[in-house]
Amino acid sequence: MEEPEFVKKAVLRPKGNRYEDFEPGRVFHHHWGRTISQAENAIFTTLTLHFNPQYTNVEFAKAMGHRDTPVNPLLVFNTIFGMSVEDLSEGGGPFLSVDELIYHKPVYPGDTIFAKSTVVDRRPSGSNPKMGIAKWHTQGFNQHGELVCDFKRSNLINKRNP
Amino acid sequence: MKMSDYTAKDNYFEDFKVGEVIKHARGKTMEPLEQVLITNLVMNTAEGHFNEDLMAKRSEGSKFAGGKRVSFGGVNISFFIGMASQDTAENCIAELGMDKIKLMSPVFHGDTLYAYSEVLESKPADREDAGIIRFKHYGTNQDGKQIFEGERTVLMKRRSHWADK
Repeated sequence: MEEPEFVKKAVLRPKGNRYEDFEPGRVFHHHWGRTISQAENAIFTTLTLHFNPQYTNVEFAKAMGHRDTPVNPLLVFNTIFGMSVEDLSEGGGPFLSVDELIYHKPVYPGDTIFAKSTVVDRRPSGSNPKMGIAKWHTQGFNQHGELVCDFKRSNLINKRNP
Repeated sequence: MKMSDYTAKDNYFEDFKVGEVIKHARGKTMEPLEQVLITNLVMNTAEGHFNEDLMAKRSEGSKFAGGKRVSFGGVNISFFIGMASQDTAENCIAELGMDKIKLMSPVFHGDTLYAYSEVLESKPADREDAGIIRFKHYGTNQDGKQIFEGERTVLMKRRSHWADK
């Protein structure tokens, strides 16, 4: 099969970073931001079998002192993590660990989450010379700039020039 | 009905004894529908989670990932915590944090996950209607192999204050 002309002409716009890009102290302001809806909160909570009614029953949540169902904290974590992937780990392998995760404030449907990460550390992999291990401190903020969740994450990362 | 009628009676702060290990009812098979849905909903752009063609071509000549999409670790963690939640989160006031989260093996679509929880610590909170419990959660796959562990700390209702509300 001959390649179509547009395929021959096309120049790839690559995504993601490599080990060499993770100078300790470097800060990444991750793209997009994400407004979380009640529907997403409900689908995430039910698909993951997360049976705490404050995320899926607004009357129960109000009786506990919330103005609305809080967004499931695991969804808050996944959203912050997800937005960080292109900058941090898309050019890598599986993630190794998450440590020191703290939920600082509840997130409610309609709130918008922003994510930011700082490189904490990096080192070559002991077993694979083509890869290294990077560690980042990732923070998630709401639309008022308040910290809602932060954590440290380590990941195997490909080297650009092994 | 009272609010407390909507949750169980055996999972308040007072019920968790340090050292106790719980096997949670119900496993769950990882479906492409939900793995890809959650991965895409949270805008995780790593295509190894949602491009099967890439994974097949990447694995040619190597055994990496067996040519299949790999489930996003954030989804795996959420499944394990979720499966533990009816017993360990139903009467939580708030999730406080997680630590020492490790995923030991990849999860593929069609794998089935099971969850276990150990009570590591029980201590008073700075409010009298609740206490703090630190759990260690474990996860296995359909072969009984451990593929996940991690600690999770929660603020839990005390029966003494909440059971009649």
